[in-house]
Amino acid sequence: MEPPDDKTVRFQINGRSHEGTRGESLLAAIRRHGYEVPSLCYHEAVSPYGACRLCLVEVKRGRRQKLTTSCNYPLQEGIEVFLDTDRVVRHRRTILQLLLAMAPEAEELRSLAAEYGVEDTPFVTDEEHADNACILCGLCNRVCNEVVGAHAIAFAGRGLHKRMESPYDDVAEACIGCGACVFVCPTSCIGIEETEQMRRILKWHRDLPMQKCAACGRPFAPTFQIMHFADKIGVERSHFDRCPDCR
Amino acid sequence: MESLNVFAARLWPTENRFVSGHRACQGCGEALAVRMVHSILGRNTMVASATGCMEIISSSYPDTAWSVPWIHVAFENAAAVASGIESGLDILAKKGRLPKRRITVVGMGGDGGTADIGIQALSGAMERGHDMIYICYDNEAYMNTGIQRSSSTPMGASTTTSPAGSLSIGQQTWKKNVPLIVAAHDVPYVATANPSFPFDLAEKVRKAAAARGPAYLHIFSACPTGWRMAPELAIAIGRKAVRTGVAPLYEIVDGRLRITVPTPELQPLRDYLKPQGRFRHLDEKTIAEIEKRVAEEYRKLENREGRKI
Repeated sequence: MEPPDDKTVRFQINGRSHEGTRGESLLAAIRRHGYEVPSLCYHEAVSPYGACRLCLVEVKRGRRQKLTTSCNYPLQEGIEVFLDTDRVVRHRRTILQLLLAMAPEAEELRSLAAEYGVEDTPFVTDEEHADNACILCGLCNRVCNEVVGAHAIAFAGRGLHKRMESPYDDVAEACIGCGACVFVCPTSCIGIEETEQMRRILKWHRDLPMQKCAACGRPFAPTFQIMHFADKIGVERSHFDRCPDCR
Repeated sequence: MESLNVFAARLWPTENRFVSGHRACQGCGEALAVRMVHSILGRNTMVASATGCMEIISSSYPDTAWSVPWIHVAFENAAAVASGIESGLDILAKKGRLPKRRITVVGMGGDGGTADIGIQALSGAMERGHDMIYICYDNEAYMNTGIQRSSSTPMGASTTTSPAGSLSIGQQTWKKNVPLIVAAHDVPYVATANPSFPFDLAEKVRKAAAARGPAYLHIFSACPTGWRMAPELAIAIGRKAVRTGVAPLYEIVDGRLRITVPTPELQPLRDYLKPQGRFRHLDEKTIAEIEKRVAEEYRKLENREGRKI
């Protein structure tokens, strides 16, 4: 039988036939069909990046069968996908151990590791950055670029010294303090603090004064963020004088 | 977290476990809260639901709004059934008949199914220390059966069994404080939440799911039908409830209380009462009395902050 149109492709997951859209993320297609594949760096709202390596699957195309990350594998006609083969599970365990060495305390990572029977890591944990549970998944950076459009943070350094940071590890001047990075971070390593006067994004060293509502006097968003919004959607600043409750 | 908006909202999971097509009234804050909670909890979840609004609207034969395993049980035993599910899963896992993954067991009920009829099952489940979440969706009366008063109905509200009139102000007693009753069981996590503060709610649902042992969430859910107000006000009224101190948002982690949305200056209670028909009959004197009590309760809560409950 011919596929209904040239966008629809047929492929197999663990030997069962399924349909998907050509070129979409393999991980998204697998999950849509009700299978489970773990991941930490994938988010449906941003482009896939393949950094955490946990979404490993085996893909057979023609006569070649190989291990690959599914999040950034574009779906193709006729591929066969195998989710939990011994090889996948073995590699995933090692990856979990490596990630645990970077962030031994991260709750989500720990519970994921426990599902694979990984309680501890044989690798050397990074003592120098013990307070920094970043696993370099880059999700905060992609969210900041693609969803927020602020471009406030980026990777710096290479190899062992690679890290996610604000420019020169100084105050991130472009950060609007929206907290989107805090919300998506899989290891909760960014940190946000809020008081009456200030919102602080700890990892990017950003302190933003809060705007008070003209009607009720309650602080509701950082002033800099409101300026960003006003510019972006082209309305008067005064539109944001009041908080959403009083508007 | 509570004042994050625009951008973080676009990162909310889009896959629903409580899907559209159910029969909830327009502007139902409770259905919204259920949808939020389950989009955060994800697919490895099993739910035992007491009788109530959420049961009748989501599961009228032959349809269901649930895309996770869900069981409807009697009014009084949602917590008992949820604790049974948790024990059953535990045994199956020990026998190696389940994949080694964390399955979140949720018991849910309305305020009637929690504060009145289900409280002994709830107390039992919390005391036995099952690894489960119990969620009370509090819309402050038995809305499903026709707006009868419950022990969670606020003082002054007119319901069909506490009607306001020349001899009565409506509900004559103060709202039962279920979160603190549960906290007295010394459970690892207790929190109040509100769908009008979605990120605060998401954070609390995650913490409840991660807690080892029983967790309790008390979710304040606006009910336009029973509160006699316009459906489009459901979100606004939830925000007002927090700002006026009627339904403060706090969490109790290992016995220590923290107010997550502090409101140092409470707004006038009238802002909260006025849009609601169930409070329409209240005179100035009664409103002042209730306002005084609300402020008193809020100060009590502030005094508890950071201390062991």
